Amino acid sequence: MRQSARLQTILDLTAVDAAPLCTNAQAGCHVLSLANLFDRVIQHSARMHGISNDLHSEFELYFLPSKNQIGRVSRNCHTSSILTPNGKENAQRMAREELTEVILKLLVAWRDPLWHFHQSMAHHHDFNNFSSNKSLEMSDMVHELRKGVQKVVEKMQMLGIISNSVSNLASPEALLASDSAEWRLMKDYDLLYCFRRDSNKVQNYLKILKCRIVPEHGC
Amino acid sequence: MLLLLLLLRFSGAGVRMKGGLRLVVLLMLSVESSSLSPPGKPVLLGCRSPEKETFTCWWKPGLDGGLPTVHRLYYEREQLEGTHECPDYRSAGSNSCFFDKNHTYIWVDYHVMVEASNALGNVPSDPLKFDVMEIVRPYAPENVTLMVEEKQESPYLHIRWKHPSNTVSRSGWITIKYQLRVKQENSNDWKNYTSGTQMGFSLYSIHPGAVYEVQVRCTLDHSSWSEWSNTTFVKIPNYLQNERPFGILVSIFSTIPVVAALCVLVTKRKYVKRFLLPPVPGPKIRGVDVQLLKSGKSEDVLGALIVNQNFPPMVARKDQMEEYLIVSDGGEWLLPAPLKSQKKKKSSFIPAGFHLDSQCKESTPSQVQENKDEMKSSSNLEQKQEFSGINFAAADLQKGASENFMQRLPNSGYVDIQRQENIVEVDGILVDYSRVKEVNGDNVFILQKENVPLSLDVQRREESMSEDYSRVKEVNGDNVVLLQKQNGSDDSFCTEKGNRYTHCTNQTQRNPHMTGLSKIGVCTDLSSDGYVDTIPAPSLI
Repeated sequence: MRQSARLQTILDLTAVDAAPLCTNAQAGCHVLSLANLFDRVIQHSARMHGISNDLHSEFELYFLPSKNQIGRVSRNCHTSSILTPNGKENAQRMAREELTEVILKLLVAWRDPLWHFHQSMAHHHDFNNFSSNKSLEMSDMVHELRKGVQKVVEKMQMLGIISNSVSNLASPEALLASDSAEWRLMKDYDLLYCFRRDSNKVQNYLKILKCRIVPEHGC
Repeated sequence: MLLLLLLLRFSGAGVRMKGGLRLVVLLMLSVESSSLSPPGKPVLLGCRSPEKETFTCWWKPGLDGGLPTVHRLYYEREQLEGTHECPDYRSAGSNSCFFDKNHTYIWVDYHVMVEASNALGNVPSDPLKFDVMEIVRPYAPENVTLMVEEKQESPYLHIRWKHPSNTVSRSGWITIKYQLRVKQENSNDWKNYTSGTQMGFSLYSIHPGAVYEVQVRCTLDHSSWSEWSNTTFVKIPNYLQNERPFGILVSIFSTIPVVAALCVLVTKRKYVKRFLLPPVPGPKIRGVDVQLLKSGKSEDVLGALIVNQNFPPMVARKDQMEEYLIVSDGGEWLLPAPLKSQKKKKSSFIPAGFHLDSQCKESTPSQVQENKDEMKSSSNLEQKQEFSGINFAAADLQKGASENFMQRLPNSGYVDIQRQENIVEVDGILVDYSRVKEVNGDNVFILQKENVPLSLDVQRREESMSEDYSRVKEVNGDNVVLLQKQNGSDDSFCTEKGNRYTHCTNQTQRNPHMTGLSKIGVCTDLSSDGYVDTIPAPSLI
């Protein structure tokens, strides 16, 4: 199953720490494994975005919401409060720690909504099992990706690439802060739209981060 | 129109008229003159971002309406207050709006519309709502180059291209993935290949002499695919000249000694043949011409054999003195084959020392066939049959009474042999006979090999007057033996019915040399075991 494969991928990140690719603890060796970690999380985020894209397209088929409504844009994603760079230069100008924090905040913010989304999908008999499986997979992936990025951050902090100012976003306080009830008011379609966007953000931010920190490995 | 003109004239004539009124009048004039109308509704064709940093929108204007029409693009953006106009109408051509980097924001919704306006009105188009992330579509890859290369003597096509010109992908912001398709010039089947992020591809399954078309396209992350690049053609050369003179030279020089060896073999083929296949020594049959055997017909062969052996003709045999029946056990006639095999019959022609003299053993076919003890006899019988065959052939040659002979043989079991060698000279007279040594069964005589003492000689016997023997002249049927009188010229015919002598029919002349015993008739008494006993007949003289 793809799901288990994804779980395995993220869990392998810890294994990489325990048994790095190089045997001796040299600086060059650690950098290589960091690039490897980055590649894995980027791959994971790409996969996650792909699934969200598919689900969004399916929703559009079913519900056909009017895309060209006259009026101001009033997309209210619950993650709008998180300040995210909206372009390449902005992302490149942002500090590494800040960018890393943004990524983690996004991932944390989507854990609960996706889980509840999956629950509501399971009750909807309009959707086939394929869509229901995708929503579950998406929910799991967010969870795993967050853990993976956490590993990357720890590695970077260990290597001294970033400072230790990146807060541990797994703490209950952090979770509570970002876990607002706004998302409960969102409709399913809007939720999917917002998540599609945010997963794309995560993927791009990770890529930018990688090419800033370990640029010589496939950028 | 006239009314308006008149109005203007009169107004001009009058005291000052307002400019606006004048303008209105002019407008009314123009409207009346060419059916002017507000512009048609423009259509927003779409927007596209080739590198996820800028984007362009295009529209199609509606009908003109007769008046100069101006199109304006207005947009609204998420996280931005108010409606704004397009920052750049020119960079992307006519009827377009270009948003540069400063005005492009990813992951925010844009709300775009175009408005056509002329003097008579403004007509907005249908709006377009999008996120820049959704409208990303790169340009086609550039500089597609094709090269035919060779690897391990098989040609392959190496395809190379460059990323679209306006994209820079060193920062990780975009990841370009490529796809290419190839087809032969004449077919309609494109074959798609995915190249990933590599900007080169090697195609191995190409046919020499064919012309291939190649196109490449790309995608940015999850965006839509670009257009296919311009078709690039390449012709695979028909025959790739391999620069292997060394290999050719080696092969040429290696064939020369092979050819020379073959020539030598052909010219000296006799020696080669002799060396490889030593000649088998031919048959050495005394007096037999091997060549004749090989080439001739059976009659010629047999004639050759028989000529050598000097068989007396069969016809004359009746007139001559009958030979004694002489059989012996001959080791050299042993043939291990069963009786019925024809092969043995033939092969027995060949062995050396082919003697037709008397060393034969007589037996009936049926008796000796199975018994291994009588293998000898079977072989001898076969020999006998061969003899019969020979004799038959000889008889054929002579055109004698071969049938009689043949008839006689199977029934009686006697072997009539003409032979020469064992003729014993006894008292100046050549006789050939031998003493019966042993009798096997009912009708097998085993004769002693050595020359029988003269006791069998008729003349001697007559002189000794101890025993009476007669020479068998003729055998009639199973149990009739016709004996000859000594003189040989006149016969006494004794017929026997059953086992005993009955009567004599003739009287025989006596040999004038003979003294003493005067036998007129000699009759035989054939006992069941085959002995011939003479019963002295009363003298007639």
